Order: sequence, then structure tokens, then C-alpha cells
Amino acid sequence: MKTNEIKERIIKTANELPEFPEEAYKEYEAKIPKMVSELNDMMLSRSDIEVLTGDKVNIEMMKDNHNNHAHFIASILKNFDGEVLVDTILWVFRAYRSRQFHTNYWAAQLNSWRTIIQKTFQIKQQKIFCRFTIGCKSTYLHLLNYRMNN
Amino acid sequence: MDKEDKEIFLEALLKGNREKGSAIATKYVSSHDDIKKFYEDIVKPSLYKIGEMWEYNIITVAAEHLATAVSESIMNELYEHVISLERTPYKIVLGSIEEEQHQVGIKMIADIFEMHGWDTYFLGSNTPTNDFISFIEEINPDIIALSLSIYTHIPIFERMINQIRRQYPEIPIIAGGQAFNHGGQEIADKYDNTIVISNIYDTEKFIKKFEDEDK
Repeated sequence: MKTNEIKERIIKTANELPEFPEEAYKEYEAKIPKMVSELNDMMLSRSDIEVLTGDKVNIEMMKDNHNNHAHFIASILKNFDGEVLVDTILWVFRAYRSRQFHTNYWAAQLNSWRTIIQKTFQIKQQKIFCRFTIGCKSTYLHLLNYRMNN
Repeated sequence: MDKEDKEIFLEALLKGNREKGSAIATKYVSSHDDIKKFYEDIVKPSLYKIGEMWEYNIITVAAEHLATAVSESIMNELYEHVISLERTPYKIVLGSIEEEQHQVGIKMIADIFEMHGWDTYFLGSNTPTNDFISFIEEINPDIIALSLSIYTHIPIFERMINQIRRQYPEIPIIAGGQAFNHGGQEIADKYDNTIVISNIYDTEKFIKKFEDEDK
């Protein structure tokens, strides 16, 4: 399959992610600072964090990424566009991989996000956000594979 | 436009060589059309390239900031060639929205309005929304222009438009910046009299249309 076909297929998959009710988006946005703080603590407590981020000098960049990720997800929840999601994720991979972040970093990060979402939200919202996060994780992994091979 | 000029200008930005960059700019001051070509075909792609080089870790944040600072200082040198002696009665307030640090693009748009004789009030980057709106109250502009480069700032942009529209339901708002690269017009379409413009030539068409309709 040609490169553009692969990307188009991933965009199509991304566009099948669930829609969000406005109250879910507002609740997510309000809880960003707390969630980002918890994510930072969770990731920093890992013994392999310097392996995942490539270098201890990248720890601040990692924290920036967590904050940017949360705000980006809030933007996407409000105005969903599969192509924006895919292009932004590819940009993130390029920017962070070029600075030695390990490919396992994103898997670790997304699994941590799922844990935090389960702690932070009521069951109904958890289902919405987890479906989205799992969908995003699937998109991320497809894109990582695409990025590694193109 | 000389292809070599583009390469020399990019190199000047990367080395922080303001003199070399300025020498390129002075080749494009004989007319407003030449200045527009310099902005759209030399400065803009050079800064996009600089952004890409940061993305691939070829340059650092410091190098990117240096390139931006050199570009802005060179644009400032051109002001005497930008400003039009023929003035219109129109005013525009322009700026990058709250938390948005990038401002070169909106600065170019300010210069385009100046070329058409408008009084421009360029607020630069990261103006807090409440202060931006207080300033609008003070100046009472004919148009507001907002810039955002980062997609995650779209919710801030929407909150700002909502606040502006509560007090100024009619005033035209033009928006632009790389945040809208994948569209964004559908977001602007939710609000009356709000459009996304992606380059200086479309900005000129907008100005001409506004002035013609106001006659």
C-alpha cells in the first residue's frame, strides 16, 4: 500500500472515533491542570523514565508534552477533525523522536492517561474518554508504525 | 523573485546575520507589491522552514527565536516604505490571542492594512483576552484581526470571539495563522461576520471589498 493510502486509511479510522457531548468536553478541560500534574508524577516515578525520554534533559520537554497533549485533546474533543489528529500526532513523533524519545514512551504515557481518566471521572464520562483514549492509542500505534516505515 | 534571495535570507536568519538579511530586504522596497512578495515568498517560507528545522532537531529553540527576532527587526526597517501617505478613516486592532507567542504573521497583516492607509494598532503576542477587549473599547476599530499558530489555542480563540461578540455583535473579525491549516473556517462560520484568511493577498481582497461596501 502506498504511503498516502496508509495515511488516508489512518485518518478514516480516526474519523470513526466517538463524538463528544459538550458537557464532557467542559469537564475534561476544567480538570486538565490536575490530570497533567498527576501524569507528570506518575511518569516521573517510573524507574525507566530516562530510557523512555532518551535523556534526563528531556524531562522538561516531556512535561511540556503532557500539558500540550491535554490541551490538544480538549481542542480535538470540541472540534474533531481526523486529519488534524493524524497530522499533529505525526508532528509530535517527528519532534520528539528527533530528540531521542523512545517509541515506548507513548505507550507508557497513554496507559497512564487511561489510569488517570479512570480516577478522575464518573463511570459515564470514563467510558467516553476511555473509548476515545483507546481509539487514540490505536491511531497512535498505527501512526508510529507508519512513521517508522516511511 | 530571485530564488537565491530566499536561500541567502534563510541563511542570514540561521546565522543571526541581520545585515545580510537586511540587504535582501532592501531589494524589495521599490513598491508595496515588492514588499508583499518579500513577506509572502521570502520571510514566510523561511520561517516555516526554521520551524521545520526545529521539528527535526536540526536547530534549537534559541536559534528559532533568533531567526524570528531578526525577521521582525528587518520588517521594522521597512516601515517607512510600508506606510501610505494617503490615509483612510479606518482603524484595525490586531494581535495574537492569549497564550499565542507567535506574532510575525499578524505583524505582516498589520503592514498590509498600513499600506492601504488604515490606522493599525498592533498588540503583538499573547495579549490577555480581557485587556484585548478593553483596548477595543478604547479604540473602537472597524475590524479586529486575531492570529493563532497553535491548534490547541482554538478553544481560547472561540472564547475570545464569544466575548467580543457579546459586546460587538457586528464588528468584522478576521483570523489567521497556522492553527487553521486544516480548515478552521467551519469554526469561524459559527460566528457572524468572522472569516479565516490565509495569506496577505487574500487580506488585500478583503480590504478592498470592505472599503467598496462601505462607500
